Amino acid sequence: SSRLFAVIRFESIIHEFDPWFNYRSTHHLASNGFYEFLNWFDERAWYPLGRIVGGTVYPGLMVTAGLIHYVLNLLHVTVHIRDVCVFLAPVFSGLTSISTFLLTRELWNQGAGLLAACFIAIVPGYISRSVAGSFDNEGIAIFALQFTYYLWVKSVKTGSVFWTIGCCISYFYMVSAWGGYVFIINLIPLHVFVLLLMQRYSRRVYIAYSTFYIVGLVLSMQVPFVGFQPIRTSEHMAAAGVFALLQAYAFLLYLKDRLTKQEFQTLFFLGVSLAAGVVFLTVIYLTYTGEWACIHVDFFFPRHTVFYSHLGPFYAKIHIPIIASVSEHQPTTWVSFFFDLHILVCTFPAGLWFCIKNINDERVFVALYAISAVYFAGVMVRLMLTLTPVVCMLSAVAFSSVFEHYMGDDTRREKPPAEDSSDEDDKRNSGNLYDKVSLLTMLMLMLLMMFAVHCTWVTSNAYSSPSVVLASYNHDGSRNILDDFREAYYWLRQNTDEHVRVMSWWDYGYQIAGMANRTTLVDNNTWNNSHIALVGKAMSSNESAAYEIMRSLDVDYVLIIFGGVIGYSGDDINKFLWMVRIAEGEHPKDIRESDYFTPQGEFRVDKAGSPTLLNCLMYKMSYYRFGEMQETEAKLDFRTPPGFDRTRNVEIGNKDIKFKHLEEAFTSEHWLVRIYKVKHLDNRESLDHKLRSVVPKQKYTSKKVRKSYLFQ
Amino acid sequence: AWQSGVGGHLGGLSVSAGGLVNEEVKRTVDLSTHLAKITTELVLSNQGHSAVQSFILSVEPDLAPHLAYIGASVKGDGEDDGLLEIQQSDIHGHSGDFYKVHLASSLAAGAQLKVKVEMTFSHVLKPFPTHITQAERQLVVFQGNHYLYSPYPTRSQTTRVRLASKTVETYTKLGNPSKNDEIIEYGPFRDVPPYSEDTMKIHYENNTPFLTIGSLTRTIEVSHWGNIAVEETIDLRHTGAVLRGAFSRYDYQRQSDSGISSIKSFKTILPASAQDVYYRDEIGNISTSHLQVLDDSVEVEVRPRFPLFGGWKTHYVIGYNLPSYEYLYTLGDQYALKMRLVDHVYDDQVIDSLTVKIILPEGARNIHMDTPYKIDRLPNQLHYTYLDTFGRPVLVVTKDNLVEHHIQDVVVHYNFNKILMLQEPLLVVGAFYILFFTVIIYVRLDFAITKDPAAEVRMKVASITEQVLTLVNKRLGLYRHMDEVVNRYKQSRDTGALNSGRKTLEADHRTLTNEISSLQARLKAEGSDLAEKVGEVQKVDSQVKELVCRSCQEAERLVAGKVKKEAYIENEKNLSSKRQEFVGRIDSLLDAL
Repeated sequence: SSRLFAVIRFESIIHEFDPWFNYRSTHHLASNGFYEFLNWFDERAWYPLGRIVGGTVYPGLMVTAGLIHYVLNLLHVTVHIRDVCVFLAPVFSGLTSISTFLLTRELWNQGAGLLAACFIAIVPGYISRSVAGSFDNEGIAIFALQFTYYLWVKSVKTGSVFWTIGCCISYFYMVSAWGGYVFIINLIPLHVFVLLLMQRYSRRVYIAYSTFYIVGLVLSMQVPFVGFQPIRTSEHMAAAGVFALLQAYAFLLYLKDRLTKQEFQTLFFLGVSLAAGVVFLTVIYLTYTGEWACIHVDFFFPRHTVFYSHLGPFYAKIHIPIIASVSEHQPTTWVSFFFDLHILVCTFPAGLWFCIKNINDERVFVALYAISAVYFAGVMVRLMLTLTPVVCMLSAVAFSSVFEHYMGDDTRREKPPAEDSSDEDDKRNSGNLYDKVSLLTMLMLMLLMMFAVHCTWVTSNAYSSPSVVLASYNHDGSRNILDDFREAYYWLRQNTDEHVRVMSWWDYGYQIAGMANRTTLVDNNTWNNSHIALVGKAMSSNESAAYEIMRSLDVDYVLIIFGGVIGYSGDDINKFLWMVRIAEGEHPKDIRESDYFTPQGEFRVDKAGSPTLLNCLMYKMSYYRFGEMQETEAKLDFRTPPGFDRTRNVEIGNKDIKFKHLEEAFTSEHWLVRIYKVKHLDNRESLDHKLRSVVPKQKYTSKKVRKSYLFQ
Repeated sequence: AWQSGVGGHLGGLSVSAGGLVNEEVKRTVDLSTHLAKITTELVLSNQGHSAVQSFILSVEPDLAPHLAYIGASVKGDGEDDGLLEIQQSDIHGHSGDFYKVHLASSLAAGAQLKVKVEMTFSHVLKPFPTHITQAERQLVVFQGNHYLYSPYPTRSQTTRVRLASKTVETYTKLGNPSKNDEIIEYGPFRDVPPYSEDTMKIHYENNTPFLTIGSLTRTIEVSHWGNIAVEETIDLRHTGAVLRGAFSRYDYQRQSDSGISSIKSFKTILPASAQDVYYRDEIGNISTSHLQVLDDSVEVEVRPRFPLFGGWKTHYVIGYNLPSYEYLYTLGDQYALKMRLVDHVYDDQVIDSLTVKIILPEGARNIHMDTPYKIDRLPNQLHYTYLDTFGRPVLVVTKDNLVEHHIQDVVVHYNFNKILMLQEPLLVVGAFYILFFTVIIYVRLDFAITKDPAAEVRMKVASITEQVLTLVNKRLGLYRHMDEVVNRYKQSRDTGALNSGRKTLEADHRTLTNEISSLQARLKAEGSDLAEKVGEVQKVDSQVKELVCRSCQEAERLVAGKVKKEAYIENEKNLSSKRQEFVGRIDSLLDAL
């Protein structure tokens, strides 16, 4: 229920950026049907390229929401699709909780399962992705992840095809929901591989993995976005390799039964050398046919780069600024570990230790899960999400074993003192022990209580803001709602032509498409780096150069976010360096990052700032007429100079801003969103009265000359 | 067909029209808002030879398409101003719209009658210039008629024009009118022939909000469970001079006269009992609104997300709930819903196109509708919502060009069988019943395709062990009881009590032990290895029993003085520790079971 803070405090609305796209496509699905959705070509995005939405999304989320909406409407429960979308994540976090319980019960026992379910229900690391209104892939993917793992553990335990097929279906759902399915398809082979290494191979593992790999592979290829990737790209090669290895191993075991030791050894060597030869030949073949090159190209295909950046913290920073520019792709700090997991981060190594101490097949799995997830979470803040469930499970294991140990003793110890009253000494002794035990139990309970308090606090303060609507508090505690984003987006929706093209930085692409229903140039699906760089270049060039670019891109309006009036720090000027960097990556001749710094190497917007910065389009658009603005009502004590930027706490450097090719079209109430209209070409200017020079259409030359001209 | 019929009828009427004369006409043209409201007070005199039942009102052909409302009432000598019945009609040979007004009582020859006619025109004030910048003021042009457009000759008339401001660019100067602040007075004109027209053109400043509701869809959903839900979907447009050039927020915030013709907010008045008011659009709640509950109404200060400048538009939904007892009347199976067909949105509202949908409860029959004015009825629809099976009937009506005068009540009569009220709860009950019933069937019956003998045995064994457990615990209870008996004996030294206690112990113990052994035998028969464990329990138990007996004897000896107290305590301690050990073993065995 703490997930509903946002709805209670604000309203039933979709949060953030990506969910707006998901909402929009779900809306499309709900109103146009499934096949129309799969074939959807969205001409409203990536103008002039467009986007094939059906083939470039993980449809699981939309289909789930659409299906729920469809079923409800079939029963005449008239629920708007928006409400379905808003409340989908909390509903699925309930299911996650159940599947975590099942998984932990398989691993340890019922008590630990219950604790794990309680933890996952309130842990901030997961709440951050599953508050009401956060309609994102991760919300349902974590459920699918946990459930797939549960079914996998179950199928390894039983070796039954039934459970494995269940696991495959769940895996299919996961594939259709989130790109993080790669985590499953690598972790499960890893588990099998480690089991092989540990000499824990059994028929059950063989059945489970063989079935899982084949069926899972076929199912995952049914998702349009994934397509043939599972057999082409390197992320999936580990699974194939382990599959082959498992088959070989099983075959060898089979032979071992049939053959004598001598025969077996020769066969083994023969087999190994044969296998090596085959691999070698395949590589040569692939290199010749170019398939290998194709696989290599995939390494640099933008869609996969996110995956590679998952692998190494520095990959993205070096290669692609656009991935590095996203805040949730930054390496995780220690603070955020504690912030998101609190006490669990301390207890989970203990749980891991318990698991390793009493190892069995499925505990190997959870140990691998934990180790890999910790690594990934360290690489990227975003992947904290995959770590959270395993941390909950292992902490639950730790807590439950501690409780079992002490509380169990407690009940047994209670009997003797009740039995006889003769021995004073013994009684005091046991009483002491009793005190210690109860003290420890109390301490643990206190920890858990503090955890719960922390979780609620984090949820209410950090994760319950829709970020579309801002709230500020007055001195008397009353709340002010700053609704500038929607004000401006709605203005665009109502008062511009239906087909206008709006240029903005890519962060706002999905919101413009979702709320304003207008064509955007770039959006949060950052698949085309050069297009984004072009927009970045337009923003960071001077006005006339930018006008050229905007003309060539058919831009009608430019939308920027400016927080200087109210002190909103996430505005475009603060993101500006990323635009410059991304533009520089593609257009190193025109844009140089160093031009935007002062000679001292600072990024300043005041008088000392570099002239390139003070005259670039973004700067001019942000501060147009801001120089006249005098902030008096906010700060009564001292008069700030006119044009005082409250976000960066400086007086701006260029107050006299004039536009030639643009005009202000709309500015929201708190100046948070500013929209400029790109004027059409002035027809007066081109009237230069040059003398008409008549160019003869055809030169009359002799045939000889023409011939020689030809042969020149 | 209707119109031509009336037209035929009029042929005879125009003859009698010759007898009527407008003695004195006072026209007031109110142009202070974005509507043109023309109020005409006229004195009709019948100079013909026969009594007249009706007279004709006419509207100039230029203005006729914009006429939103026309109403006429007799201004009598203290009599009530009831509205007269008006029928649209036609006159051959003359353009314009004509309305036939039926008098309540006929006007005798030579008699006079005072009539007040109200007409409201929408979209007749044309902004000129049509595009203005943010700093400019809005100027509009009105084109009308200096004279009263009437089929009758007029003896004397005056026209008074009320403007929105003092600033007037130009105005036609027929008959040297006098201008005083916001008022221009024309006339008096004498002896004006019928159908006379002379263009009156006034170009003046008018910064009042030129708001127009492009389309309004009002949905009224009636529930017999005590609630009427009203939802209005409104398309709003600023129809004044279109904003040219840039919109500067700076100027708008700093200079009070910047964007003077723009609209920041307006008030919507809802019924007094309105609850749960919401105000939103496609992308969520509009947070810039205020609600004020007054005694006789609920006032919503509706502020669109952005100020509306000329040519800008917005779209929103406002909705609220009303208690049905205020609007729904019932007599047996007959119901009548009396509600406003259209409600107040803002002062001097203009609605270009209105659609009203009235959703009645499922099962409503014999529906008919009494509208206060002529309105187009579309075919009924069906609406499905929570727990509906065959759909709720929806009445749909539309009308164009409405103004404030159209805020009137509509009455919908229908029949509804009250038994149908029970349908929805029963549906829910039935659904749950079926759900539980299937669960019961699923749990109680065995749907397995194959029999699993092992599982059956396991279940049997489990039930037997359960019984063993309770019996063993009972037996241990016996020992505890015996201890109490012994303790009591130590104090009271009543040998009889001790003996009887011992006897009951012996007896109970024997029966319990027998029962356990029989269960053990059954376990063995099922082939369970638990039988051995039970046997072990039995063995340990017999030792415990022995110990109990011994402690009993010891106590006897102590009481008899055969042993010293110290020795007894020593002994007792031994015994009890041993017993503890055995009981522990039994416990652990039981746990293993």
